[in-house]
Amino acid sequence: MDLWQLLLTLAVAGSGSAFSGSEDSSEKPKFTKCRSPELETFSCHWTDGVRHGLKNAGSVQLFYIRRSTQEWTQEWKECPDYVSAGENSCYFNSSYTSIWIPYCIKLTSNGGTVDQKCFSVEEIVQPDPPIGLNWTLLNISLTGIHADIQVRWEPPPNADVQKGWIVLKYELQYKEVNESQWKMMDPVLSTSVPVYSLRLDKEYEVRVRSRQRNSEKYGEFSEVLYVTLPQMSPFACEEDFQFPWFLIIIFGIFGLTMILFLFIFSKQQRIKMLILPPVPVPKIKGIDPDLLKEGKLEEVNTILAIHDNYKPEFYNDDSWVEFIELDIDDLDEKTEGSDTDRLLSNDHEKSLNILGAKDDDSGRTSCYEPDILETDFNASDVCDGTSEVAQPQRLKGEVDLLCLDQKNQNNSPSTDTTPTTQQPSIILAKENKPRPLLISGTESTQQAAHTQLSNPSSLANIDFYAQVSDITPAGSVVLSPGQKNKAGISPCDMPPEVASLCQANFIMDNAYFCEADAKKCITVAPHVEAESRVEPSFNQEDIYITTESLTTTAGQSGTTERAVSSEMPVPDYTSIHIIQSPRGLVLNATALPLPDKEFLSSCGYVSTDQLNKIMP
Amino acid sequence: SDNTAGSLLLLLLLVSDLLLCQSVASLPICPSGAVNCQVSLRDLFDRAVILSHYIHNLSSEMFNEFDKRYAQGRGFITKAINSCHTSSLSTPEDKEQAQQIHHEDLLNLILRVLRSWNDPLYHLVTEVRGMQEAPDAILSRAIEIEEQNRRLLEGMEKIVGQVHPGIRENEVYSVWSGLPSLQMADEDTRLFAFYNLLHCLRRDSHKIDNYLKLLKCRIVYDSNC
Repeated sequence: MDLWQLLLTLAVAGSGSAFSGSEDSSEKPKFTKCRSPELETFSCHWTDGVRHGLKNAGSVQLFYIRRSTQEWTQEWKECPDYVSAGENSCYFNSSYTSIWIPYCIKLTSNGGTVDQKCFSVEEIVQPDPPIGLNWTLLNISLTGIHADIQVRWEPPPNADVQKGWIVLKYELQYKEVNESQWKMMDPVLSTSVPVYSLRLDKEYEVRVRSRQRNSEKYGEFSEVLYVTLPQMSPFACEEDFQFPWFLIIIFGIFGLTMILFLFIFSKQQRIKMLILPPVPVPKIKGIDPDLLKEGKLEEVNTILAIHDNYKPEFYNDDSWVEFIELDIDDLDEKTEGSDTDRLLSNDHEKSLNILGAKDDDSGRTSCYEPDILETDFNASDVCDGTSEVAQPQRLKGEVDLLCLDQKNQNNSPSTDTTPTTQQPSIILAKENKPRPLLISGTESTQQAAHTQLSNPSSLANIDFYAQVSDITPAGSVVLSPGQKNKAGISPCDMPPEVASLCQANFIMDNAYFCEADAKKCITVAPHVEAESRVEPSFNQEDIYITTESLTTTAGQSGTTERAVSSEMPVPDYTSIHIIQSPRGLVLNATALPLPDKEFLSSCGYVSTDQLNKIMP
Repeated sequence: SDNTAGSLLLLLLLVSDLLLCQSVASLPICPSGAVNCQVSLRDLFDRAVILSHYIHNLSSEMFNEFDKRYAQGRGFITKAINSCHTSSLSTPEDKEQAQQIHHEDLLNLILRVLRSWNDPLYHLVTEVRGMQEAPDAILSRAIEIEEQNRRLLEGMEKIVGQVHPGIRENEVYSVWSGLPSLQMADEDTRLFAFYNLLHCLRRDSHKIDNYLKLLKCRIVYDSNC
C-alpha cells in the first residue's frame, strides 16, 4: 500500500509539471487537457506524439483510477469511450464521473506509461459556449448618434443551470466589425447584459463565453453575433457636441447691450451720471445766471458795479443834467457871493449849510423854489453878515424874479424846446437892459451890504461848481480857476481889480457865467465902489473860473487891459448842452466870434438862434 | 429633530442591509425564544442557498489566495491523495446520486458536514492568526466562513425541523484531527496541512451548495425550477 502510494506519488509528481500545460516537444503522447463541460461528464484528450511517418507500435491507452472512501483498491481501468470525444480522447459519461473525488489517469503506449495526471472533476469544468445570442435595441440617444442594446443568450444546453447544479458566469465581448481588439465586459451571472453607447453608423460583433463561477477557465466563445444598428436619421446633429460658442456670444452681447441701453436711457440721474458724466459748462465768475433769467437787473447791476468799467448810463445823464442846471444857478449868484465864498470861509458849518442849501438849489431850476433858497441863505452867513449871504440870495431871488419875469416874457420868444434851465440865461442874454437893472439892483443891494460884505462873501460870488485844485494848509479850498488863494483874496479889497475886471468884456466871461460878466461890466462903470464890490465878486468869478483870469486880474490894474486882453480865459468847465430838437452846442464864448454883445453876454448857453447867427 | 433622526436611522438600516446582503446576512427568521414562529420553507431554503453559495465563494477565494501565496513551488501535489476528514461521510458523488437520495437523508448529511466543520474552522481562524505575516485576506475570510457556517447550520436545522419534524438524529459528524498538523513546527508540514484543510473546505462547501440547490429545487419547487 505504501509502496503503491509512493509509486503513485512519483507518477503524479512526474506528471504534474507536464499537466500544468507546458508544451513539450517530446515524442510521447501526452495529455493535453481534460475537461468537464457540465460537471457531470468529462473527457480527456491527448496528443499523439507522432513522428513523421513513424507511428508507435502500440496503441495508446488510457487508464484511470479514482479514489473512493480513502481507498486505493481499484485498479486502473481503461477508458470506457475512446470515440465520443474524438480522436485521442477518452470520454467519461456521467456514470463514470464522480464529483469531488480525485481521479488519476494514465496514458500508456505499448504498455508503457507515457503520461499521467490526477485531478478532481470540479476542478476541470469548462462549460460549453452559450447559445442563442440575440440583441434588442434599448434606446437611441437624442443626438441620434449612439444607441444602447441588450444582448441575450442561452446557457449551454448541457449545463444544468436550472437546478443549480452548476453556476455559470458569462463574459461578453464586442467590437466593431473592422476593429481587431475586442472589448470585454465584466462577468455576469445573468444571461443578458446591456451594451451601451454603440454608434449607429457602425456594425458590431458580439460574442459570449462562460465559466464556472469559482473557476478561472473559460469555455469556448459562442458564435459571433452581428449587430447592425438602424441608420442615423437624416436630421442628425454633428458628430461631436460642440459647445455653442456662437449662441453664447450672441446672447451675451445682446444682454450687455440691453443693460447698457437701460442705463443710458434710464431716468435715474445717478446711474446716468456714472455712465455719462455731464460736461462742465463754463460759468461766469461772480454772476449767477439765474439772476439774469429772473430779470433781477438791480442785483446784476450791483454785482457789475464792482467793476469800474461798468457805469450805468442813466448815471451819466443825470450828472450832466445836474451840471447844466447848476451852472444856471451859479451864474445868478456870482455877483453876490457864491458858494465858493462860503466854502472858503472859516465858518465851515455855514459853508456846509450853504452847501447843503446849495445842494438843494442845485439840480433844480433856479427859477423855482426861491423861498427855500432865500431862507437858507439867510440862515447861513459867510461873511459875518447875513446881508452878504442874503445878497446873493437876494440877487438870486431877484434873478429868480427876473427869471420869472423874463420867463414870462420869454416864454413866447423862446419857443424852442429849451429846458427851463436855460431860460434865465437866455433871458439874460437877450435882454441886456434888464441886466443892468438887475445889476443895479444887485449893486444897490450890494452897496447896502457892502460893509457887511466880507472877503469870503465877495469870494462867495463864485459859481456853485468850481473845480478844487488844491487845499491850502489853512484849510481853505483853492478852486481851479484861480491859482491864488481864495482866502487871501477879498473881493472887497480889490475894487480896482474888480473895476478892471469890470470892463465890459463879455468875451471874458465864462461859458456859463454870462451874468457875472454882465455884472462886472455894469458895476465897473458907474461906481467904483460898487465895482470894487462887484469886481472882486467878478474877480472872484473870474478867479475861480479860470486860472488865467485870475492871473490877469491880479496883474491888471485897469479894466482896459482886461477888456483888451484878447485872451479869453477858457473856463475849465465847458458845458455842452444838447438841445432836444436841433442840437445846439454850448460853445465857449471865447472860442467863437461873438459879433453881438448880446451874444457875448450869453452864459455860454447858445440857443439855436444864436447858433444860427454865429454860423452862416 | 425627529425627522433627521428618523431618516438617519433609516439610512443606517439601509446601509446595514446592503452590507448584510453582500455578506449573506440572514433576515431575522424568528426572534429568539419564539416557538410558533413559522418561516416558509422557501425562505429558509433561499437563505440557506445564499449562505452556502457565499461560503463556497469565500472558500474558493481563500484557497486561491493561499495557493498563490504559500504553495507555489512547494509541490503540494498530494492534494489528490490526501483526503478530507469528511470523506467518511457517504455523501452523493454526482448529480444522479444526489437526486436519487432521499431529501431527508440528504439534509442530514448536510447537517453532518456542517457540524464536522465547526471545529476545524474554529482552529483555522486561530492558527491563521498565529501565522507569520498572517494575510488578512485569508484571515478575514476564515472568520467569515466560520460565522456563516454556524448560521447555515442553524438554518439547516430549522429546515430539517420543518421537513421532517420530530426526528432528531444524533449529532453525527466527522471528527477532525488535523490540528496537530496545523501546529507543526515544520513550516512545510504546517503549510501543507493548511493547504489541505483549505482544499477540503473548498470541496465541502461546494458539495453543500450543490446539495442545497438540488434540494431547494426538489422540495420547494417540486423539481420544477
